[in-house]
Amino acid sequence: MQDQNVSVHIQNVAHSFGVEGHAKHVRALLDTTMDIHRGELLALIGPSGCGKSTLLNVIGGILSPTTGTASVNGKPVNGPMPHDIAYVFQENALFPWNTIIENIRLGMLFQGVPKSDHEGRARAALKAVGLSEFADHYPGQLSGGMRQRAALARALSLDTPVVLMDEPFGALDEQTRMVLGEDLSELLSRTGKTIIFVTHSLGEAVFLADRIAVFTARPGRIKEVIHVEEPHPRKASFMTSDKFNGLRNRLFDLLHDEIRKTVNLGSGSTGGF
Amino acid sequence: MKSGSRVFGFMSTYPRLSQLITVMMFLGAWEIVARFFVDKMFLSPPSRVYSEIDRVLNTKGLLQALSLTLYELTVAFAIAVAIGMAIGLSVGLNAFARRCFMPIILLLYGIPQIVILPLFILGLGIGPPSKIAFGVTHGIFPIILAIVAGVQNLKPVLLTSARSMGAKRWHIMRYVVLPHMMPSFFSGLRLGMTGVLLGVLLAELYVSTAGIGYFTGLFTQNFDPTRLLGLISLLAAMAIVLNEFMRTVERRLSRWRGND
Amino acid sequence: MSGPVKSAPIADEHERRVTRLVQIGFVAALGALWYLATNVWGMSPILLPKPQGAFNELLDILRSGEFWPDLFLTLAELAGAFAISMTLGLGIGFLVSLSPVYVRIFEPLLAGVYAVPIILFLPLYVLFFGLGASSKIALGATISFYPIVLNTIAGFTSIDKLYVTSAKSMGASPTVLLRYVLIPGALPIILSGLRMGFTVALLSIIGSETIASLAGLGHRIVNLAESLEIARMFAYIVFVIAIAATLNGIVSRLEASRGMDK
Repeated sequence: MQDQNVSVHIQNVAHSFGVEGHAKHVRALLDTTMDIHRGELLALIGPSGCGKSTLLNVIGGILSPTTGTASVNGKPVNGPMPHDIAYVFQENALFPWNTIIENIRLGMLFQGVPKSDHEGRARAALKAVGLSEFADHYPGQLSGGMRQRAALARALSLDTPVVLMDEPFGALDEQTRMVLGEDLSELLSRTGKTIIFVTHSLGEAVFLADRIAVFTARPGRIKEVIHVEEPHPRKASFMTSDKFNGLRNRLFDLLHDEIRKTVNLGSGSTGGF
Repeated sequence: MKSGSRVFGFMSTYPRLSQLITVMMFLGAWEIVARFFVDKMFLSPPSRVYSEIDRVLNTKGLLQALSLTLYELTVAFAIAVAIGMAIGLSVGLNAFARRCFMPIILLLYGIPQIVILPLFILGLGIGPPSKIAFGVTHGIFPIILAIVAGVQNLKPVLLTSARSMGAKRWHIMRYVVLPHMMPSFFSGLRLGMTGVLLGVLLAELYVSTAGIGYFTGLFTQNFDPTRLLGLISLLAAMAIVLNEFMRTVERRLSRWRGND
Repeated sequence: MSGPVKSAPIADEHERRVTRLVQIGFVAALGALWYLATNVWGMSPILLPKPQGAFNELLDILRSGEFWPDLFLTLAELAGAFAISMTLGLGIGFLVSLSPVYVRIFEPLLAGVYAVPIILFLPLYVLFFGLGASSKIALGATISFYPIVLNTIAGFTSIDKLYVTSAKSMGASPTVLLRYVLIPGALPIILSGLRMGFTVALLSIIGSETIASLAGLGHRIVNLAESLEIARMFAYIVFVIAIAATLNGIVSRLEASRGMDK
């Protein structure tokens, strides 16, 4: 029944935190159904707490949804699927006590890659993100942007068909984000991976994604899906094109009302997702 | 004002030297006070303490007492580390156990243990066992607390990320939990060492019929501050060396902490 | 009291109750073990008195009021020691923190001496001051001086320079700066130093009473141990632990109420 072209299938996924009826009960994500195709870059964007990270974690098997199922390459997700999915987290998730290359090797060790392959694949991944010279540095010795590159290298070295990224550039400054975004577009068009990433940045979403899923304010659901239809790799000049600006403005309009809603009710108890 | 600012300038240029000068000034003041202002039955000048340190070491039985103390320290430390680690890991790694037993552990830690010292002596005699046991009960708590804290402060994202890459339980223990708790483990060891030292010395001082306590008592009753200060200085030096040693190990093992 | 809400895990009532139950069970098991060991398994009453015996002794101590002179002496020594260490610790700490240069020179020296188990000075203090209260006060003051002075330095140096700069930019005079920026900023760390100082002062006073003295709660326990009145000694131990826990509890409460309100 499933399309060969579908990489990730989300069926009626909904999630709540806490126990129903309790004060702390929060409905994070309403019933969501969606297909993500092979080789596609999908951006999830929406106001804080709209459940986009929740959805990402459900796909990644980090969180089991209250209802519904996700499946990756036809296999239902019941927990982490290290052979199918690699993760790049928002925070620096490199082990601080290991050097960059040790971090990458450790990922492969966890995943079960034969030891003889570690070195070659780690070097290749470092080269792909342009960090070859920093292999023996500790994460603490690198800038935020370089750390996220290293995290990306670790994810790439795992050689999974799907990569999930939770605001991978969220903590970086605007310039670094732009450069990393360009590199990412370039890199991903070569690897043909399915990428799902969460972002707060309108520009980043338009620049990187093939499709953009716009979420409503909490409880979140997908309000609209925007198609970008621009071939990868994308050049920096795309950012100044009318098409880019048109899509960006459209996103802004869609999000504006939703963000207002969260800002108006959100100053007290919520947040933190 | 002029000379004040010159002193300040010197201090900011040569902080190490200033420290040395401070210590020298302290010793100098002690020397002067001891020589000219205080009865020598009560205080000896540092020069005399230093030059007569061999008189301390030649006191019959004192060297044995010192080496016995060192032996007690070693054994007590080993036991405290072993038990402290076992308890720390089993309580720290399990959220439920932590909630149940941490309050009890903290409560016990807060007890002034000195009040049960007589019990240790009654139960285990005045020999090494009671001192070792008292050292263990003092050293064990900092070790437990450090290990629990070390296990706890782990950033959840590191665990999540390890799991997402397929890490098994023992992978997580070996490659995530263990390296993460290394620095706090070592500061726990250092604090544990301080605790063991305190416990053993308290017990040693309490028992006045043998060991260090006998000699401090003896020198005090004989109004022999030279030898008393000598003995105290030796013990203090021992404590400082142990502490600095532990700190060096600690620094070595947490070098990756650079600037993160 | 606004600020980021902690994303604490939702620990529901049920879980809390189970935790309590396990704790109570643990303590009850220890009590039962004590009872069984002394009443059934025949453990020597010289090592461990019967719980009911110790309890009766405790009642007797409380009823007779014989503890008052010892308690009064111990508390007076504590007050004296703490007054000295607080004055010197806060004063010297403040002076040292006036310049980073002083901090760099004196803080390592103070921290270095702190590594020495100061209990070693007790024989010396006994030589200087005799077996009475003064040697206890001196020891308690010495021991509690270090956490206070070190935390005072840490407190003042921990203040973000931005606050100082911004206060100065608004024209704050040194007095105003001290009153409204430096002291409130340093207070939480200083208070925790005072609490630590208080705890170790209490400990060292009871400790030095145990090791070498003529009176006080610590001395009372040793006396009973030597005369093998073990049940009564146990009762005194419980009494002293209760006093210590109460005092520490009060001090922690004070620290929490004064240190956190910003």
